[in-house]
Amino acid sequence: MLKTSSYRSGLRWHSLRAQESRLAWLLTSPTALIVFGLIIFPAIFSIWISFHDVTLRNLNDVFHAPFVGLQNYRRVIGDFAFPEAVINSVVYSVSSTVLTVLIGLIAALLLNRPFRARGAVRALFLFPYVAPIVSVAFVWRWILDPRPSGVLNDILMRLGLINAPIAYLSTRGLALLLVIVFEAWRYFPFAMLMILARLQAIDRTLYEAASVDGAGVWHKFRSITIPELRYVLGAVFLLRLIWTFNKFDDIYLMTGGGFGTNVLPVLTYQFSFGAFNFGKGAATAMILLGILVLFLLIYANTVMKGEE
Amino acid sequence: MAGKNVDRMTLIEHIAQSFTLSKLIFAITLTFFLVSILFPFYWMISSSFKSYAEIGGRAPVYVPSALRLDAFRELFDPNYPQFQDFGRNILNSVQVAVPTALIAVVLSTLGAYAVARLRFRGKNLFLNGILLVYLFPAVLLIIPLFAMLAQIGARLGFRVQDNFPVLILTYLAQTLPVALYMLSNYFRTIPAEIEQAGLIDGCSRMGVIWRITLPLSIPALVSVAIYTFMIAWNEFLYALVFLNTRTMFTMPIKINTLFNNPSPRPHVVMAASTIMTIPVVILFLALERFLEKGLTAGGVKG
Repeated sequence: MLKTSSYRSGLRWHSLRAQESRLAWLLTSPTALIVFGLIIFPAIFSIWISFHDVTLRNLNDVFHAPFVGLQNYRRVIGDFAFPEAVINSVVYSVSSTVLTVLIGLIAALLLNRPFRARGAVRALFLFPYVAPIVSVAFVWRWILDPRPSGVLNDILMRLGLINAPIAYLSTRGLALLLVIVFEAWRYFPFAMLMILARLQAIDRTLYEAASVDGAGVWHKFRSITIPELRYVLGAVFLLRLIWTFNKFDDIYLMTGGGFGTNVLPVLTYQFSFGAFNFGKGAATAMILLGILVLFLLIYANTVMKGEE
Repeated sequence: MAGKNVDRMTLIEHIAQSFTLSKLIFAITLTFFLVSILFPFYWMISSSFKSYAEIGGRAPVYVPSALRLDAFRELFDPNYPQFQDFGRNILNSVQVAVPTALIAVVLSTLGAYAVARLRFRGKNLFLNGILLVYLFPAVLLIIPLFAMLAQIGARLGFRVQDNFPVLILTYLAQTLPVALYMLSNYFRTIPAEIEQAGLIDGCSRMGVIWRITLPLSIPALVSVAIYTFMIAWNEFLYALVFLNTRTMFTMPIKINTLFNNPSPRPHVVMAASTIMTIPVVILFLALERFLEKGLTAGGVKG
């Protein structure tokens, strides 16, 4: 290439760029096709479905489903289960995210100081996050078994903390609380990993300087650790909040959405695959997405602007 | 000098004093964490070795009297009265998870190479487009996916339900974006000069990818394979909607049916859960260091 004339090399350069571009499109096209076909198109199609009367009957002929305007949305909002699901979704995702980040922070601080077998402990800490959701959800349900033979009931009764067995997951209020605790138990390792990575990148000399100035543990934590962790805490909070708000499996497997734990994703499933009213289900999902997008816009305009 | 020495003494004493207290708090917190993490796993494994009498007794059995295999016989022994044929479900999960992992590695390698090394129009659109996956809840996508695939299936003559390729495709859509981000970040750490040397020596682009980039990226490729395998192995919602026949159930759906059995047998549920959990945990422990990067970079979206 170096020995060819400048004219020819110019031509080849151009064709090389074009070749590069063509190759890139070729290489990315399978991924682009799958993601567009199975995520982006369905997402747009979902808007369409939410304005049409789609049930099991006309599912095979979905494009001829009758247009019903806002009827699906009106039915969702008028549904007796809807207000509770909205409130629960917000309470559940915000409080379990806060708890997840808090426990993740404590775990990260624990693992940030050297001790024997730290590597092994760190690996163990990740188990709840790595294990299949179905396994861990059912183990927890088995631990929380309402009978006197349930292990948590047995332990608490032996300790004299309760007199009679409790039906943990079928008591309103308590069920929601336990689902929130379960979320934190399962997802704190994610927060821990992200926070730990940032903790280990903090400049040691900051702490040494503070020690020389006579700062205590708490003071160092407040004026060095927390400011250094601010961005990673914000990022973990935001990511987990989005994912928890969208989460279906955990609540569906723990309570099936009963006893005051119903949330919008489970409600969407119930409308779609319980009652087979896909239009109503799609409308619920759009409301869910709408709340999420609204939150993100407010977040971007207040929190992120405030930080600049 | 003397004054400074005294200062240091008091400082050390001060540290020594607070050290014991902080050490105590540390030990208590660590114990609390370990117990609350490990007890559920202990309970899962030990329950799977209990007999029906032990599992249904009036008080919980903390340590099984013997390693009873009742639950495992119910899952695997065809001569057992309530035989569940769980071997079939394990095989189904393998048939879904392994192709998902292999195809995801191939496709994300191609895409990630283009993103990391080549200049092309629409690159940012492509990258932002696939990131949208994070925003859409799975329950939002499953309705239109179901309707759309039913429509296409009716035209082309395939069934939407009980069709593993359909399930694999939906898992690919969920995992490819993260896999692509993980791999393209890794490819960027390989010096471009090595590849340019290959190009100058007369290798084609594909030759460079095959002979230079891939051998250098084996750790990253393995972690992408494990990550996608784990997602497909654990996935619940799509399998719940797309699988209808008992013999086609993947493990999570089978375990869900076992749990909701009118005459509950928790030891069987726990045995099946143990079987499903062990491969994932072993894979994870074997590749912990590689995987952690992926977990923090992309998250399991879970």
